[in-house]
Amino acid sequence: MNPFHQMRLALAGLMLAALTLAGCAGPGSYVVLLPSPDGTVGKVTISGASGQQVLTQARTGSMLNGKEAPFEVSREQLAKDFGEAMSARPALPEHFLLYFMPGGAQLTPLSVTLLPKILQRAKARHAVDVSVIGHTDTQGKAETNEELALKRAAAIAEQLRQMGLKDTVISVESHGERNLLVPTPDETAEPRNRRVEITLR
Amino acid sequence: MTLWRVRIAASLLLMALAPLSQAQTEAIGYVKTVTGDAWVITAGQRVKAQPGSAVLLGSQLKTSHSATMGVTYKDDTVMSFGPDTELTVDEYLYAPAQGQLKLTARLSRGSLNYVSGVIARLKPEAVSVKTPTGIIGVRGTQFVARVEDDQ
Repeated sequence: MNPFHQMRLALAGLMLAALTLAGCAGPGSYVVLLPSPDGTVGKVTISGASGQQVLTQARTGSMLNGKEAPFEVSREQLAKDFGEAMSARPALPEHFLLYFMPGGAQLTPLSVTLLPKILQRAKARHAVDVSVIGHTDTQGKAETNEELALKRAAAIAEQLRQMGLKDTVISVESHGERNLLVPTPDETAEPRNRRVEITLR
Repeated sequence: MTLWRVRIAASLLLMALAPLSQAQTEAIGYVKTVTGDAWVITAGQRVKAQPGSAVLLGSQLKTSHSATMGVTYKDDTVMSFGPDTELTVDEYLYAPAQGQLKLTARLSRGSLNYVSGVIARLKPEAVSVKTPTGIIGVRGTQFVARVEDDQ
């Protein structure tokens, strides 16, 4: 083999190695749009030093510097670059609504039956923290309702603690009559607005 | 002299208590999953992350080589990180009843899986993830992002 030939071979080998490396390394710094856990696909915008891009299709990606049009990302590439981050994803938060009898912090009979299920779900979660937000309907004064909603949330938090969530962080909040589930005029009794929202995170 | 001592003691006590009364000592989220060595660094204080560790405004979340971590925020935003990752929460406002919503995070290296929460649903333009080369905006969805060191 003459020296010229050898050099060409070596060069070809080098190029092949470079190509293989590029294939392994993935696109570099980039972002990929994925479907939401509920199956819908939203949108991601990228404002980079070299341009702007918008992603609207699941499993399309863009360089973070905004250069070049969006590209498709294979499941293999996703698993390789993001598998560990994805597998560390905590369980998604769960939401529950409990409803109250008018004027006080007494649950409706149907809502009472939900409490054990909520407790069971809370205990099944890893390092759970709980949020309880109280609401009222628009009957009565806004300030009174602010207090009533807090009383409702505090009563439910206390019940959850007594039922077994002793060492759990439970945050208690009041939205009074400011955050209606069903919009109504003032001074309207509405059972669906007399509620607490429980979130298990 | 005695009065002086009392005064000094009182002011020291006030200084010690002051940070507690500020909003940034309130948890904005909690660590839920950890594998390997990961940290939550807040105002220079480095805490080894474990399930239940609090994340505060300004916290830097860090995973070491071959470690992972997952965090759930007060508004149900969920973020998880692969190995060798650094993310800082620069702004976090969640008072939906007052219409105050904001989430700004900085991914300086590594990999992130983001699932949007209430802030992105109520006010999409209030959420952004900054990276060394560009800013990611979110319209109610899930995404993954990767920042490589050499860029």
